Amino acid sequence: MASIFKRASTIYGAAIGLRVILLFYGAWQDAHSAVKYTDIDYMVFTDASRYVSQGQSPYARDTYRYTPLLAWMLLPTTWAIPGFFSFGKALFALADVVAGWLVAKSLVLTHGMSPERALKYASFWLLNPMVANISTRGSSEGLLGVLVVALLWAVLNRRVYLAGVLLGLGVHFKIYPFIYGVSMLWWLDDTRTKTGTGTGTSESREPEPKSRATSNEDDRNGGTPVGVSQIISFVTPCRIRLALTSLLTFAALNAAMYARYGTPFLQHTYFHHLTRIDHRHNFSPYSTLLYLTAASSANATGLTGLRGPSGSFESLAFIPQLLLSVVVIPLVLGKKDLPVTMLAQTFAFVTFNKVCTSQYFLWYLIFLPFYLPTSSLLQNPRLGITVAALWVIGQALWLQQGYLLEFLGVSSFVPGLFLASLGFFAVNVWILGVIVGDAGGLTGAEKGKVE
Amino acid sequence: MRQRITYIQKPSAPFHPSQTTLTHDALSVESLDAAREERVTFSFDELPSELWQVLRQCHQLHIRWASEKVYEAVSPFSSRISPGLHVFYSPVDAGKAKGDNEGREPVCTLLKKVFDDGLRCESPEESFITPPILSTRFASTAGYQFHQLLPSPENLVTYIQHKFCPMDDDKCRQRAASILSADAVDINYDSISHALTMSGYWSEAPGGQGWTEIIGKHEGGTDKVEVGLLGAEQASEPEEIKMGGLLAVVGQDEELKPTLFSFPSRHHPLPEDAVYSVSFPTPTGMHPTMTISISREALNEPPGRPDATCALHAYLTLPSTLFGDKYQLSTTDPLFLKSHNLAALRAVAGETDLEAPDWFVSRWGSNWLLELASPSESNQVAEVWNVTVPLHLRYLPPSESGYRTASVPWPVVFWACTAEDGTKMGMNPFDRVNLGWEGLFGPRTMFYQLHPSPTRENGVLMEGLEVPVLTLKENGGVFGGRAIELGTVAVISLGFLWVLWRLGLVARSSGIRAQQKRDADKRNKAE
Repeated sequence: MASIFKRASTIYGAAIGLRVILLFYGAWQDAHSAVKYTDIDYMVFTDASRYVSQGQSPYARDTYRYTPLLAWMLLPTTWAIPGFFSFGKALFALADVVAGWLVAKSLVLTHGMSPERALKYASFWLLNPMVANISTRGSSEGLLGVLVVALLWAVLNRRVYLAGVLLGLGVHFKIYPFIYGVSMLWWLDDTRTKTGTGTGTSESREPEPKSRATSNEDDRNGGTPVGVSQIISFVTPCRIRLALTSLLTFAALNAAMYARYGTPFLQHTYFHHLTRIDHRHNFSPYSTLLYLTAASSANATGLTGLRGPSGSFESLAFIPQLLLSVVVIPLVLGKKDLPVTMLAQTFAFVTFNKVCTSQYFLWYLIFLPFYLPTSSLLQNPRLGITVAALWVIGQALWLQQGYLLEFLGVSSFVPGLFLASLGFFAVNVWILGVIVGDAGGLTGAEKGKVE
Repeated sequence: MRQRITYIQKPSAPFHPSQTTLTHDALSVESLDAAREERVTFSFDELPSELWQVLRQCHQLHIRWASEKVYEAVSPFSSRISPGLHVFYSPVDAGKAKGDNEGREPVCTLLKKVFDDGLRCESPEESFITPPILSTRFASTAGYQFHQLLPSPENLVTYIQHKFCPMDDDKCRQRAASILSADAVDINYDSISHALTMSGYWSEAPGGQGWTEIIGKHEGGTDKVEVGLLGAEQASEPEEIKMGGLLAVVGQDEELKPTLFSFPSRHHPLPEDAVYSVSFPTPTGMHPTMTISISREALNEPPGRPDATCALHAYLTLPSTLFGDKYQLSTTDPLFLKSHNLAALRAVAGETDLEAPDWFVSRWGSNWLLELASPSESNQVAEVWNVTVPLHLRYLPPSESGYRTASVPWPVVFWACTAEDGTKMGMNPFDRVNLGWEGLFGPRTMFYQLHPSPTRENGVLMEGLEVPVLTLKENGGVFGGRAIELGTVAVISLGFLWVLWRLGLVARSSGIRAQQKRDADKRNKAE
């Protein structure tokens, strides 16, 4: 026991120490160099907080595209107390550590790990310099991390109301966590909610995933319509509680924010993502196509013989993205391994998104500790190294083309950035395939084996 | 139609009384080495109807055009603006101007007709920017502001020849054509005076042989034709400019009358070596940095009263292709400001969206008034003082070559100093206001303009930025629009199918496993 305690205090101490050092280093660099450590987004948040402190709307700040909660939370940054400007960064860094702690706690539940071993995997997050760097520079993604992993922890512990509140809050904060709603609803079948009723035989299990049901349809009671009984048995009190709590939380928060800040709140927090017009290059495979269609729809090329794309494929981009992250992945994997399903969902959501920047990678990084213990990436080091290398090379190639464009002014949109973003997409899709295979037990990397 | 012609000679320029001859109906000048301003004032009834139909709806309309070629701006005409066409407009009513009989917006329609059909002007509401009004008390700034690069006023000349000159009046047409060689043109109208004045400024006679012309009296003999041959003298007060020389009213005066008069002036000259130049260090990338290099001589505070406070400023006129980040530039971080030799962002107006590509920007661009840092001791500066302004490019539409050019006019750079209380700048017969930047200061401010000094041989006050854009060949090519679309669709579809296939495998294998388990259970039960 003593060693566990010692180990825990060492890891949390190191995680906190790392962040404290980075916070102080950041303050030092900001005070001594014109090149700032602080992220530009942090200036947006704190500017918005300043507007709020003056009784104005946070949306008075251009490019503030977040819930007012964030600006409120950072109000202490506007206090004229030395060092309080960094309050938000410290908060984000603390959120990081709490997220790591929840990861460790959840690993004990999901993988039946010893706390010591769970902590080892949680260190992928806790001691990850990229994570510590992002939060101490003042990016709010760490806040999402703690929300999402707390949501997972709440569901694993059958704290359905808490999970509903966290889900509603998460979606209010950043929209994308709505994808977890589906997998959680699916996962919460009777065997999971009726705790203490034994381990549950296959007969007592509630509906099997659809795909499974269809594969052995003839085996089922053929006469009755497949849908009705399944739908009825799907609707359990527990699922209703989760759905209602999350919807109520989401609606209440939005109603409150709308009442306070009106249309700008809706416009900047939500509609912006539907109507955004900035097509600056990013990791998304769609970015070149979006540039092309946006410019030609505005009839801005001035080239007469130049036709824009004939189709409007980019407006259908949500179909593969949502089909994978909201429907198929949760249905096929949801009941096997909830955290890894969430990882795969997030991975699919980010990979198939119309916009993708490196901050989005943090969204799935939080789930890595749940995936690694049973993943073929660790069991087959050659595969693991290949995946890591390809992911890094894919990004590096893209970044090199981006550097040519941004800093050297070379027109590297085609073929450079175009091919680089498609290449990076291919790498990500392949990794997603590996994750799906691992979660589905295709590679024989069964859960618990490691333990 | 009143007319005023002013020749300004430098002290060094030669003058002999024989160069001017005044008769009872004309003044002739010969080979006069001087700068020249001609100002013509039209009353309302002298204007073509299509013009006053529009002017009627204007509370004020001020048009400024400056050549992109470098020219000397001599006192009292020392004020400057960035090259191109500037329009300052306020409607009579706050409401929308009435359309003409075809329903077109009148102000833009007229501007296009007079200056260039290609002006990006739909209506003041859509295409003009609204500058910050510093104080409604002064209201010296017009409500709407427009700018576009315009290399030559040739359309204006044609317009004047068509609308103002009688069919067979060659003299009138020639006078209009002289605008082609002007360095700057001002047109002013306001609803209080109900008069339209138009003035041209020539820093020197075209051809370099001095001015040789005959200035006749007004045809009808009703309107004044004033001529002045002046030179700047040493003024006794720092706010003042003193001019001395000869004046005459053609057709009225028998001889040129000597004169010496002084008046408070907003705009003051600086020594010739007080210069600046503008460049964008390469590679400019998507984030070009405008560098304003100021000569050491320009860094001395202008001579003035000991209690006057002065600050160096730059006023940027940026087309929509280029913009500053107002949050970045309005920072009070001393390290950032010091690294760029900036002091503060004083005013900004126009298109400052940080993300929109150029094709979503309807207005012409933005204006920035920046206060610049000046070294505490100018002799500490070795050669030049470099001020840098970080800017950003918008995404531009695709092109065949993969590049497009963004033309950026040079900013104007000047010292602004406080003047003594009670100074009335409006007394100045040569006063010039509505320049965009001067309205951002209080009415008792004096401006000392630095002289632009182009480093390139063509002497143009413009910088061209090469903007990388999506390469799109008209005839398709390997990476034509179609290929980009198909390539994207194919790769994403394949990726989607691959993930679906993996998911399918999982579903199948767990189905099989479930089946096996169920079979096993059945067997167990049967047993």
